[in-house]
Amino acid sequence: MQTPSMAQTSVPEARSSKVIRPPAFNPLTTLRYLGEFKAYTDLFLTLSLHRIKVRYKQSALGIAWAILQPVSLMLIYIAIFSIVTQMPSEGMPYAVFVYAALLPWTYFSTAVSAATSSLVSHQQMVTKVYFPREILPLSYVVVGIFDFVIATSVLACLMIYYHVAVSFIILWVVPILLVETMFIVALSLLFSAIQVQFRDLGFAMPLIMQLWMFATPVVYPLSKVPARFRSLYVLNPMVGVVENFRHVVLQRMSVDVPSLQISFVISALLLVFSYAYFKHKEATMADII
Amino acid sequence: MIDLRFDRVSKRYRIRQEDATHHAGWINKMRSRLGPGKDFWALRDVSFEVTRGETLGIIGHNGSGKSTALKLLASITTPTRGEITIRGRIAALLEVASGFHPELTGRENIFLQGSIIGMRRREIHAKLNRIIDFAEIRPFIDLPVKRYSSGMFVRLGFSIAAHLEPEILLLDEVLAVGDMTFQKKCVERILELSRSGMTIVFISHDLAAVERLCERAILLQRGQVAGEGPVSALTAQYLTRMEPAVEERPPANQQIVKIKSVQFFDESGRAGLQFRTGYPLRARIDYEASAEVGPAVFRLHFVGLDERLHCEFVSGMNAAAQVVPAGLGAIEFLCEEIGLQPGIYHLDAKVERPDGSELAVQRRCALIHMGEGKQVHGTFYAPHTWRPVSELTPPSTQEASQHLSGII
Repeated sequence: MQTPSMAQTSVPEARSSKVIRPPAFNPLTTLRYLGEFKAYTDLFLTLSLHRIKVRYKQSALGIAWAILQPVSLMLIYIAIFSIVTQMPSEGMPYAVFVYAALLPWTYFSTAVSAATSSLVSHQQMVTKVYFPREILPLSYVVVGIFDFVIATSVLACLMIYYHVAVSFIILWVVPILLVETMFIVALSLLFSAIQVQFRDLGFAMPLIMQLWMFATPVVYPLSKVPARFRSLYVLNPMVGVVENFRHVVLQRMSVDVPSLQISFVISALLLVFSYAYFKHKEATMADII
Repeated sequence: MIDLRFDRVSKRYRIRQEDATHHAGWINKMRSRLGPGKDFWALRDVSFEVTRGETLGIIGHNGSGKSTALKLLASITTPTRGEITIRGRIAALLEVASGFHPELTGRENIFLQGSIIGMRRREIHAKLNRIIDFAEIRPFIDLPVKRYSSGMFVRLGFSIAAHLEPEILLLDEVLAVGDMTFQKKCVERILELSRSGMTIVFISHDLAAVERLCERAILLQRGQVAGEGPVSALTAQYLTRMEPAVEERPPANQQIVKIKSVQFFDESGRAGLQFRTGYPLRARIDYEASAEVGPAVFRLHFVGLDERLHCEFVSGMNAAAQVVPAGLGAIEFLCEEIGLQPGIYHLDAKVERPDGSELAVQRRCALIHMGEGKQVHGTFYAPHTWRPVSELTPPSTQEASQHLSGII
């Protein structure tokens, strides 16, 4: 009886084989999940596209909302920091100074906030079907990128209006935005996984973002931060992103490599940890959501 | 070749008793939120295998762990102990249309839902027309699905999954959706997939449906495998293990009439709980009255697993109401051709006064299993006869010509 069963097992298996075991936290095995994610690229693209389509359906202003949000924030900050009180803006008109920072900031805050609640708001999907769960928070990051691109048009108009010249240094926005996106992805994975268990994070989100913005040089320049706090201050990865973004776009200043490096290293480490944490929590997500 | 293997799989859930901490203040609340909580084992040491091309049924009552087993198979959650091996691309149809987005059109949702269950855009493109036609919603395909009727919604959901063609398909109570004609279509499609060599796991509490689709089944009870084998061999075990529901009648001493037993007999007069559509069913209610009651009406309700009343036996009403004297008594109902669909039915027995006030109620007093009998197309079997017609002049033509001549 042994022989036929042995012969059977030696037949080459064309199908994919998968073994499911109890979950264990192991950052090394997370690489395996990247391969699985690849098989679901179509879902990622479809879901992201549909999210963009759906977002502004049945709203009268439609896509204009992507512009309205940073523009209205800009008007508020002009009122406070340019009319009520005088905030130095390194020689730039305050409007363009603050808007150039609001662009990467709005991308960060909207993407992270939306991604945080992404798993909880898709309970139906999470408890009924399997797919790599990171697709849900990541699709909100794609929406953030889309809104960012739309909102850039206003910056272009402002720069033309205020006669701000542009040089090749502006190409630095590509690595800057890559670092920012990496940081956003890392936080989105971490926060969305925590939110599944502790809804407190979702409630705290507006407050966190508010505080975080004032800890980032959005409405004021980095130079206004007292020097003795600065070494601590730049540990916020958004400092390197926002300050450098404004420098290369508006001021034709070359990028401040150390601060961008700090942002990159922190983001990369956090991304590895977040992904491993997310995948570990994913195993039992459907039970506790 | 084994496509699916459960090897001593256990699954534990933590139950947090949040209701107990209502008045306990936030410190205790947080402690209960972070603390260990109470354990509940939904599955304990469950082992089974499914060979390639087989259709396995998993049956069990509510809370037996069958949904947990399906969630584990579908990778939605992971086991606490043990190991699950899956060979091949697997797709689960746990609840149709769970990923639908109301604002998107039917066509957009096909792409979304299709990619959620693992289809490539190319594949979906190739099958788009077949999916739309199977769901019978072509005129509405470019409308947002929030405008769809629930029937259209469900048809579209099943249609997408039925055209997915994975190597292993998981089905959960999908046949309980849509109207009868569409259900028939679903069963046919599943049989077609099964014949094409697909490995299928079908999880249901509808014994009749499992019997139609599966050659082999396992019976889960309280998280453990209680039996394994052909569906017909498990049926008796399944029915006897049905736990009686909690009684909600007034204390016995307040009751004048007490239902002592409800029994069923098939065409050969044997007592039992197995019947066939279109064949005789006899039911007998034995009761005891502590005093003379006067006229009373006996009712026997056949309630499906969907909690809907499917039919009723009732004794003479109004003037024909049975007078119940003190002491023991019995009443018998006979149906020559029972029209119920195959499936499982709970029985509720009732004794009422002619004005409708209840004298005695016994809910869930029995559970019967209707098997396949005479063929049913539609919602129920209707007893009927037929004959060939010998006089070939259609009477309607004669009438029509008379009518015409009258006008002229």
